[in-house]
Amino acid sequence: MTPRRAFHPYLALAPTLLLLALFFLYPLALVLRESFYAWDLVTPERFVGLANYHALARGGALLGIVGRTLGYGVVVVALSMALGLMLALALDRPGRLYAFVRGAVFSAYVVSWVAVALLWTWLLDGDAGLVGAALRRLGVGGAGVLSDPKTALWALALVSVWKITGYAMVVFLAGLQDVPRSLHEAAALDGAGPLRRFWHVTWPMLRPSAAFVGTTSLILSFQAFDVVRVMTQGGPVNSTTIFVYAIYEEVFMNLRVGRASALAVVFFGCLLVLTGLQLWAYRLGNAKANEKGKRA
Amino acid sequence: MIRTRRDVLRAIAAGLTAACAPGCRADPARDADGRTVASLWFSYGGKNREVLLDLVRRFHETQGHYRIEAVYQGDYFEGLAKLRTAMYAGAAPAVTHVVAEVVPYLAEANVLEPLARFPGASDLGLVRAIAQEGSYTNGDAHPLVALPFNRSTPIAYYNRAIFESKRLAPPATWDELRETARALTERDASGTSRWGFEVPIDWWFWAALVAQAGGEVASEHGAPTLGGDAGVRALAFLQTLVATDRVMRPPPGRDYNAWQATNTDFLAGRAAMIWTSTAFLRYLEDNAKFPVGAAPLPRDVRAGVPTGGTFFVMPRGAPPAAQEAAWAFLRFMMAPEQANAWATRTGYLPVSEVGLNQLEMAGYYDAHPNDRVAVAQLADASPWPWAPDLFRIQREIVQPRLEEAVLEGEDPARALAAARAAAREP
Repeated sequence: MTPRRAFHPYLALAPTLLLLALFFLYPLALVLRESFYAWDLVTPERFVGLANYHALARGGALLGIVGRTLGYGVVVVALSMALGLMLALALDRPGRLYAFVRGAVFSAYVVSWVAVALLWTWLLDGDAGLVGAALRRLGVGGAGVLSDPKTALWALALVSVWKITGYAMVVFLAGLQDVPRSLHEAAALDGAGPLRRFWHVTWPMLRPSAAFVGTTSLILSFQAFDVVRVMTQGGPVNSTTIFVYAIYEEVFMNLRVGRASALAVVFFGCLLVLTGLQLWAYRLGNAKANEKGKRA
Repeated sequence: MIRTRRDVLRAIAAGLTAACAPGCRADPARDADGRTVASLWFSYGGKNREVLLDLVRRFHETQGHYRIEAVYQGDYFEGLAKLRTAMYAGAAPAVTHVVAEVVPYLAEANVLEPLARFPGASDLGLVRAIAQEGSYTNGDAHPLVALPFNRSTPIAYYNRAIFESKRLAPPATWDELRETARALTERDASGTSRWGFEVPIDWWFWAALVAQAGGEVASEHGAPTLGGDAGVRALAFLQTLVATDRVMRPPPGRDYNAWQATNTDFLAGRAAMIWTSTAFLRYLEDNAKFPVGAAPLPRDVRAGVPTGGTFFVMPRGAPPAAQEAAWAFLRFMMAPEQANAWATRTGYLPVSEVGLNQLEMAGYYDAHPNDRVAVAQLADASPWPWAPDLFRIQREIVQPRLEEAVLEGEDPARALAAARAAAREP
């Protein structure tokens, strides 16, 4: 459709653009500016150049935050996807029992993060918690997994996996409905076992769902905050200080707006690179699939 | 008759204007009864909130000119964050309360109202050790900006039932603390079923240990010495209790979450002895299923405690009428009757000298020996330096390194040297 006037599309876009500019681009520009200043909201701000970035890089604080966030993200995305897929495959059949289990698994996703975090804080308590005490018997987390700097981050990651696996499962279940039965039947007639049918029929058809789940859970894991705020407050010894919490801590606990802004700018850069990588990988996968299709 | 879309918009705009008019015209600084309104931001939950709101109610009953709108703003850290944001936005409350270590920072940033100009400010009759003049080194050399509200010292709490069954007395020295904690700790096949001792890995309690080891966390002029050798000794003592003797549980969580965890463990009988603020005295006594004992902190080379809790401050920028109302409320709270009501119902220290004497004369402390502990400890309280950077050094620099040393076994001397180096950076 051709617009009646050249500016009409822009006019239609204007409300969204205005909102984006006001709540996204303008704050982003403001953050970029603040990252070159030292400011505590109370005393006048001072221009400090790159000092905020230097302070972050010095002593490996930034590297630690990036490493922890990536580690947490990888564990959360990989495990929740794998578990979600397995559950979807296992529960994709009719019957009341299966429907109930599907509902039960998904229910964790509906509950608020704060409630989940509180619940798991109790469960993981080293002395009184059901899971914490069991883990301690297995020799994991001496004084409680949340009090041990070596285990705290992984404990948070597993809690997040527990919470969002239901989401991955539902998306995969939806994806499974699109796999035609006839394909499975044909493959079975040709003598393909369940494993080969999954690998050559189900998985290729589920790829778009997987890409969707992967992207959204990565975003979710990078935005993790509530679970850290409630369960560990970034400790012990900063072992659970991941990106968003680090930004919060700098600005609200340490009263360093400049340093928090510098962190936010770096965070933005990291997300940009990751999104780029993901798009590239997705396009590469599509191109390969198209090639295969042409050859066939 | 409405015909076009433009007419509809016009009608909505007219309606909005009409709806807003009465509210917009009224004086926001007065309530329906014509009382001058001032907002009070506070940071209490639970029992302490109840008591504060009760005192606010009493304030409204005793006079007809002013109304205090008390608004909860999260814990001390969250409250401070909101206060700074509000100051920047020009929407600060007429009165609020902030932790002692933050007062010099806010005062030097010139965002607090000097209080000396208000009527009666010079003769409030406050307990010196916990008022601005005694809480800071040369506290009276600075303009009065803070009035003591909920002031405290750390004290030791013990489970009297367990102590009696084991024929133990509260420890009076560090060595006795180790022995007592060892005697109290019980282990079974699955691990420790009862911890002998528990204290949050927190700057405040470490500062108490530093004082007991004969040091100061900062020089008189505010330079962060972190106690020198005494600081190292204090940190090494915590390491011994946690890692060598394995008699102390480092509570999970940070900041006030760790404090809450300590209280919970004590109430559940999982820790037989804890250190925490005198602020929790009534709360622990009321909620424990066993008799609660309180004792002064043990000494190393000397007795020593920091003071804690908060001061009332009036942020600059509130309208004069609201400030007048806030000041009336502050005077009311500093009066012996209210100061004592607050102290005896929570466990905080009474801030009024006259009030303190009244309690003593009336035999209150003989009937409630637990309440006497913090009052008696004031004799050994060390003042904080008037240092604007103090709270930042505390939260950002020292706190993580204390955790590092206690939980990861980092060498205390190296950890504190790193902290001193970091404190010198801008």
